[in-house]
This record gives sequence, C-alpha cells and structure tokens, in this order.
Amino acid sequence: MPSKKDLHIESSGEVCVSCGACVGICPLNCIYLDEWRIGFDEDVCTRCNICVRACPVGAITIR
Amino acid sequence: MVADLRCDVLVVGAGPAGSMTAKWAAKSGASVIMIEKRQEIGSPVRCGEGMSKAWLSDVGITPSNRWINLEVEGARIYSPSEKVMEINEKHAGNEVGYVVERDAFDKQLAIDAANANTTIHLKTHAKALLRKNGAIVGVKATHFGQPFEIHAKITVGADGFESQVGRWAGLPTNLQLRDMDSCLQYRMTNVDSDVRYCDFYLGKVAPGGYVWVFPKGDGLANVGIGVQVSQIKNAAETKDYLDRWIEHHPGYSKGKKIDMVGGGVSISPPIKQSVTDGLLLVGDAARMIDPLTGGGIANGCIAGKIAGKVAAEAAQTGDVSRTFLMKYDQGWRAVLEEKLLRNWVAKEKLVSLPDEIFDKIIDALAGVKLEKLSVLNILKAVKDKYPEVTKEFENLL
Ligand SMILES: Cc1cc2nc3c(=O)[nH]c(=O)nc-3n(C[C@H](O)[C@H](O)[C@H](O)COP(=O)(O)OP(=O)(O)OC[C@H]3O[C@@H](n4cnc5c(N)ncnc54)[C@H](O)[C@@H]3O)c2cc1C
Ligand code: SF4
Ligand code: SF4
Repeated sequence: MPSKKDLHIESSGEVCVSCGACVGICPLNCIYLDEWRIGFDEDVCTRCNICVRACPVGAITIR
Repeated sequence: MVADLRCDVLVVGAGPAGSMTAKWAAKSGASVIMIEKRQEIGSPVRCGEGMSKAWLSDVGITPSNRWINLEVEGARIYSPSEKVMEINEKHAGNEVGYVVERDAFDKQLAIDAANANTTIHLKTHAKALLRKNGAIVGVKATHFGQPFEIHAKITVGADGFESQVGRWAGLPTNLQLRDMDSCLQYRMTNVDSDVRYCDFYLGKVAPGGYVWVFPKGDGLANVGIGVQVSQIKNAAETKDYLDRWIEHHPGYSKGKKIDMVGGGVSISPPIKQSVTDGLLLVGDAARMIDPLTGGGIANGCIAGKIAGKVAAEAAQTGDVSRTFLMKYDQGWRAVLEEKLLRNWVAKEKLVSLPDEIFDKIIDALAGVKLEKLSVLNILKAVKDKYPEVTKEFENLL
C-alpha cells in the first residue's frame, strides 16, 4: 500500500497570499514562509491535511 | 559576508508587540536590536484595523492623525437572521474605538523604538536559535540572504502568528484546531458601510467566527471573515464563506476589491509558559489575542511594555534564567490572563449556541440601550422578552 508520505504537498504560488496561517497551525512546524514563498519539509510532514483546511484561499494541495 | 552582531536584547519581528518591547527595553537602558524579515514594517497589512482606545496612554502611545483613520461610536452585532444590537464603543471589546491605518501605526511604533535607540535591521530573517549550556543566546539569521549570527543576552520572539521562535525554543504555542480562525479580508470601495460602527455578523455565515465590516470612510471598508478551523472541512472554505456573504449583501456586492489579505488568528486560552532560559515570547507569538474578539494589537502592546522592562533588567543584572524571566510571565498574566481565560470560555459557549437562540438573545437586546454590558444585564433583558430562552442560555453562561 502506498504510504501517505508518497504524496506530494505543495502550495501554489499563483493562489497563495503569503499569510502564514498554515505555518502557525502546522502541528509539526514543518512549513516555512520566507518573505513570500511557502515551503514544506516533506520528510517531516505527515500529510495530516490541517494546513489545507486552515489556508483561507485553498493554495495547498496534497496528491 | 555580514558581520555578526551583539546586543543585550534581540527582538525578532517588528510588529506592534516587537516595537513596544524594543522601545521599553531601550528606554530601560539596554542595547537593543530588532530584526524584521519584511522590507517594509507594517506592510502588507494583515489586519481589520479596529482597536479600542483606553489602553493606549498606559503603554505610552500618543493618538495621532498619522495613523487614526476614524473614530466609531460603537459596534453593531448581527445575529444569524440579522437582528441587530448596538454596543457603545467603551464596552465593545478591544477591536472597537478607532479604525486605524495599521501600516502607519506599526511604523510609528517602530519609529518610537528607534527614537529610544533601538537598532533596526530590515530584510533580516531569523532562521534558528543559538544555544549555549541549554540557554538561548541569540539567533542565526540572514540579511539579504546572507547568513550571520546575532548574539544576545535575551531573545524576544515577537514573530507573530507563525510563532516559529517559540516553537524552536520548545514553548507550548501549538494550537488546537478549535483555537484558530482562518481569516481573509478584502478592502473594498463603493460599499455601504456606516462610519459610526464596526459591524460583526455572527452565526452560520462564519462558523465559529464572524464576518466583520470596519469602515474607513468615503465608502471604503475592511470586509473580512474568520472561520474556526475545526469547522472547516475542505480547501478554500474561508474564501467561499466570505464571497458568499458579500454576494448576499447588496451594499457590499456592488463594491470593488482593492486589496486582499489572509491570516491566522489564535482564539486559544493563554499559553502555559511564555519564557525559557534567555528567551521570552510576546504578542501573537505568545497567543495573546483575545479569543472572543480576535483583537491582538492592544494585548501585544500591553505585554510588550512589560517584556521590554524585564528583558532589560535581566540583561543588566546578568540573570537571564527562566526563573528571573518569570517576572515577565507573571507580569502579563496579572494584567491579561483572567480576561483571556474568561473570553475563551465565552467563545467556546458562543460557538455552541444554536442560531435560533442567538437570534432571540440579540433580538431581546436590540431595543435596550445597555449602558453596561454584563452577563446579569444581558440575562435580565432576555428574561423580559423571552423568558423561555433564559433557562437554556443561563447554563451556557
Ligand atoms: C485578517 C486579520 C485581521 C485582524 N484584525 C484585527 C483587528 O481589527 N484588531 C486587532 O486588534 N487585531 C486584529 N488582528 C490581530 C492582529 O493583527 C495581531 O494581533 C497583531 O498584528 C499582533 O502583533 P504582533 O506584533 O504580535 O505580530 P505581527 O504584527 O504579526 O508582527 C510579527 C512580525 O514578525 C515578522 N517576522 C515573523 N517571523 C520572522 C522571522 N523569523 N524573522 C524576522 N521577522 C519575522 C513578521 O514579518 C511581522 O512583521 C487581525 C489579524 C488578522 C490575521
Ligand atoms: S499536512 Fe499536516 S504536517 Fe504536513 S505541512 Fe500540513 S499541517 Fe504540517
Ligand atoms: S495559509 Fe495558504 S495562503 Fe496563507 S501562506 Fe499558507 S499556503 Fe499561502
């Protein structure tokens, strides 16, 4: 069975408004917001979907 | 190469809480550096820009037309079926009084900090903490992308909702999903907002949160929403809720958007621990937002003043231990904790209130001019009009 870790998580630069909501809620603190860009530490992320729900504009996808 | 720096107090983040901390630390005689990852303090504005007035003089902020947009008389609270009650500005919580230009406000606080002799570095991003014998002794940072270190006796995490510094330090700032609102706001022009009021729409239009309209004059207003994350199932629901609300309100759907900001707001009980050896947290980073109103500017500034004084004292005496810094922890709790806790409980009750009951409560209060907003006054007003409701609502309170 493929593990959740095989799924790719990303934030679309075209959708993201650089608000930091995902950064503040991620239980594992594995999201980074430089000044504008969101990055994920995919080795740590459990693909729990919390940031996907918290993002006000729906920029984050896991697939 | 950027040269390493050294100071007594290092403040990470130049929002209101950071600038306040820096100012009071510098005024108390410490050498202070404040770093900000953005290129411009206060911008982009991630805020509804509403704030109460009473606390300003206590923390040494002088009201100025440079950042006051307008003054409102009070708040209007709309129930799910849009029954309205008015609350006088003095009793309407920490988001109602002035509507401000947040970018100008944040810049003014940074200027005040600079005038007190704080050194400010923009485009400077804290990336990790420096540790020595278990204590925090500064940060690894980048300045225009170039790595360097800042060594400090006391490091202050004033890095806002993202609260990275606190989590790097192992402080308990993680949030439950029910203790966070996912927010989105448009600044809109050509809308029918009333400059006398900050408006709040509660209930199913914004589950666990509310829609706000804070007027900026000349048909301009901040129209935003906060939705409790625990009540969100799918991606982009926050935006969907806001867009739907606007669509159903002709006075707003005719407006035009000129700006958009998102953000996270904590609506949590006070955190258990805000200090560790060599480090303290202040403002949103310490989850100090009022969980009922979602307002965080006032609390961040109030705590910032205490933080600055204690940080300077710690640096000067050389005792940067957690035990000494508890003076700050106890200091902000003495002023804010009881209210934060009370309002968190009220928020928990409010979000569980069925829409019908909420409608009746607001309807009962609509006609009455409540000079003082207290649980007893509310109960009495509701009892007079809907005796059957009081029972249910009594045990909710
Ligand atoms: C949509 C929205 C509407 C709101 N409306 C209101 C309102 O009407 N009234 C009200 O009182 N409150 C409101 N709030 C809450 C209010 O904005 C915050 O409580 C307030 O900004 C907190 O101030 P702060 O100084 O703690 O943090 P912030 O103002 O968030 O400042 C933190 C600063 O730290 C910087 N930073 C972060 N990480 C780093 C790093 N690693 N290195 C360097 N710098 C860093 C950030 O760039 C930022 O400038 C709202 C919040 C949102 C999201
Ligand atoms: S999916 Fe969960 S663990 Fe992964 S980044 Fe989002 S919130 Fe963090
Ligand atoms: S919550 Fe969404 S919009 Fe905000 S920074 Fe994260 S990905 Fe971007």
